[in-house]
Amino acid sequence: MIEYKNIHKEYQGVSVINNINFKINNGEFVVLIGPSGCGKTTTLKMLNRLIKIDSGEIYIDNKNIMEVDIENLRRNIGYVIQQIGLFPNMTIEENICVVPKLLKWDKDKCNNRVHELLSMVSMPYEQYAKKYPKELSGGQQQRIGVLRAIAAKPPIILMDEPFGALDPITRDILQDEVKDLQKKLNLTVIFVTHDMDEAIKLADTIIFMDKGDILQIASPEEMLRAPANEIISEFMGKRGNFLDAENMACSDLMRTPVFTIKDDKKTLECIEIMKKRQIDSLIVVDKAGIFQGVVTIESIRSKGKAGEKINSLISKDFPTVLQDDVGKTAFDLLMDKKYDYVIVLTRDNSVVGIITKSSLAKALASVVWGEM
Amino acid sequence: MSWTLIFQHLYLVIMATIGTIVIGLPLGVLAYLNKSFNRLILWSVDILQTLPALALLGVIMVFIGGNSLTVIIGLILYSLLPIVRNTYVGLTNIDPAIKEAATAMGMGKFYKLIHVELPLAFPVVFTGIRIAVVTSIGVAVFGTFVGGGGLGSVIYRGIHIQNMNLIMSGTLSLMAMAIIFDFSMAWIEKKLYQK
Amino acid sequence: MQYFFSTYGQMLLKAVFTHFYYVLISVSIGFCIALLLGILLSRIPKYSKIIIPIISIFQTIPGIVFIGILFIYIGMVPTTVIIALSIYAIFPILKNTYVGICEVPEPYKEAARGCGMSQFQILTRVELPIALPTIISGLRMSTVYTVSWAVLAAMIGLGGLGEFIYRGVGTNNNILIIAGAIPAAIMAICLGLLIDYVQKLVTPRGLREENSK
Repeated sequence: MIEYKNIHKEYQGVSVINNINFKINNGEFVVLIGPSGCGKTTTLKMLNRLIKIDSGEIYIDNKNIMEVDIENLRRNIGYVIQQIGLFPNMTIEENICVVPKLLKWDKDKCNNRVHELLSMVSMPYEQYAKKYPKELSGGQQQRIGVLRAIAAKPPIILMDEPFGALDPITRDILQDEVKDLQKKLNLTVIFVTHDMDEAIKLADTIIFMDKGDILQIASPEEMLRAPANEIISEFMGKRGNFLDAENMACSDLMRTPVFTIKDDKKTLECIEIMKKRQIDSLIVVDKAGIFQGVVTIESIRSKGKAGEKINSLISKDFPTVLQDDVGKTAFDLLMDKKYDYVIVLTRDNSVVGIITKSSLAKALASVVWGEM
Repeated sequence: MSWTLIFQHLYLVIMATIGTIVIGLPLGVLAYLNKSFNRLILWSVDILQTLPALALLGVIMVFIGGNSLTVIIGLILYSLLPIVRNTYVGLTNIDPAIKEAATAMGMGKFYKLIHVELPLAFPVVFTGIRIAVVTSIGVAVFGTFVGGGGLGSVIYRGIHIQNMNLIMSGTLSLMAMAIIFDFSMAWIEKKLYQK
Repeated sequence: MQYFFSTYGQMLLKAVFTHFYYVLISVSIGFCIALLLGILLSRIPKYSKIIIPIISIFQTIPGIVFIGILFIYIGMVPTTVIIALSIYAIFPILKNTYVGICEVPEPYKEAARGCGMSQFQILTRVELPIALPTIISGLRMSTVYTVSWAVLAAMIGLGGLGEFIYRGVGTNNNILIIAGAIPAAIMAICLGLLIDYVQKLVTPRGLREENSK
């Protein structure tokens, strides 16, 4: 666990970090974000002591970093910078092995590690190990920059706008790779960016900073839904209209019209309909259109008899939301992954629509990128 | 020591600098315009500067005898490198977009060179001239050995008669001259780059 | 021609050897001192901003002055020449070492610190290797100059190729001038080429294109 306690920093009498406090759990992907000059990079670089702390303490696993030998501290924290900073006088292999060598790993171990790491990013050893940074594209260089940071298996990685100088497509690919690596290796990552899309895509937790203060610490969804103040919503607003995101109800996310069947249908009929529509469940309503439940193909197959009415097969145990419920409710139900959709009801229990993952994505997309 | 010697020294340096510009600038332009010459030209001026100054002066003396012209020719050959190279580099480093724009406006090769490229390359060329001048001030000391006069003769005499004052006065004048030229030209250079 | 070699051959060979000896010793001493001082200065950039311009001013002193003054105080011994030439050889190397190290781009140094290198490790593994091409071009300058100034050893009667040039100039003997000048020129060019080659050899492939100009 990483803990910032009352961290304060001044440059020439001007305070740039104002007594900030936060904690980061092991394996968490934390993104520091905010406008330029907000102190995010300063906050990051204090952790590996590239920038001196004026007052306050930082603890890593309850150990004050000021009490750890500075070089040892840094060797156990991976570090990736925007300018990449691969040493031009060293080959790719030598670059990756910088920290392992500092930690006195033997040759075989270093060599194995280089093989292992290069294969992780699909850059064949034979083709790339002996090349120099100059001979690689920007994206490849930064890939190596990331590998250099994780080479000695540090539990913590710091990344300072690592993809800021890359083209959008390469950036996207590298973001995916980093997120994968982070999950696979259970790394604690602290990542600085000023790009909200990047933050939302990568973060478990976003820390929003402005003028040396932390304005909000929240998960991406939470920050999207309920930005703590004007500055944050304005910052995110550059990406689209978020005023609606806050009040987004289930009715905004659902797909209509919805196909329902009456509860007096027979089993074979239902199977026919499902086949025709290529679905595996049907929403059942009574004559007045009141929601009764759902029949699934499994329940008909296991318990149903040919020619029988479906009444006894209707399952009431299916997620429903009211159309005025906040969108997050439906989101959470869907994320459970047990169900493919959520049924949206009116207050008097008639069916108005369903929310599927794709309708949800579409609705969110329209908020993010405007009407689609 | 008299002012005469200082002026003599200055005369050598200034004449040599003018000569170097007159020869070096076209050579630099030629190196830029003609790719097949550029290696030969740059390599030659590089070799010239590698030659020991006294050896160079000695060889020239063999051909034209010992006088101030010997020193001036020696200094010209010796300081070609910075001017030729900077002319070449200055012209080469001009933003290709500007060159293209000039061509697109219908400027001929020569017109473009005179009206666009050389003016743009001038600050870099000037840096070359500054280096040439400061180097020449130092190298001109050797002039005394081939009968060219200048401050070298004061220093040389001082060493011979073991007169510290004489050595120092020669040296300090020389240093002052180098510093004054270097600083004032650096100042002009700065103005040029700011434009 | 044959007459020349039978008369002066032995002497010329000795002069070449003496000349080369002066250059080799002085440049080696100068290089070691300059490298150390250059590294030292790069550690204290605040003071170096004042020290380097002062050094540049001293660099305008012609080598003849060093030799002359030392001659007066030490006398007509090879040490005089070697000390004077060593001092003169220091300047270009010192300046280039300092500039080379200071010009190592900040991201490399930051990355090195971030990797947990100590100051010394950053110097030896990152800064010096990246600055090496610049340092070596300083070495080339020093060497070429030293070949040139070593001619002056003859001025105080200490041999080398300058002796031929002096005698030639003094007695209006063109053959003697040429006999001194040509080997000195060849020596300077060869040493220059040798150092160019060494520079290519020690510059890692990753740094080469940058310095090809």
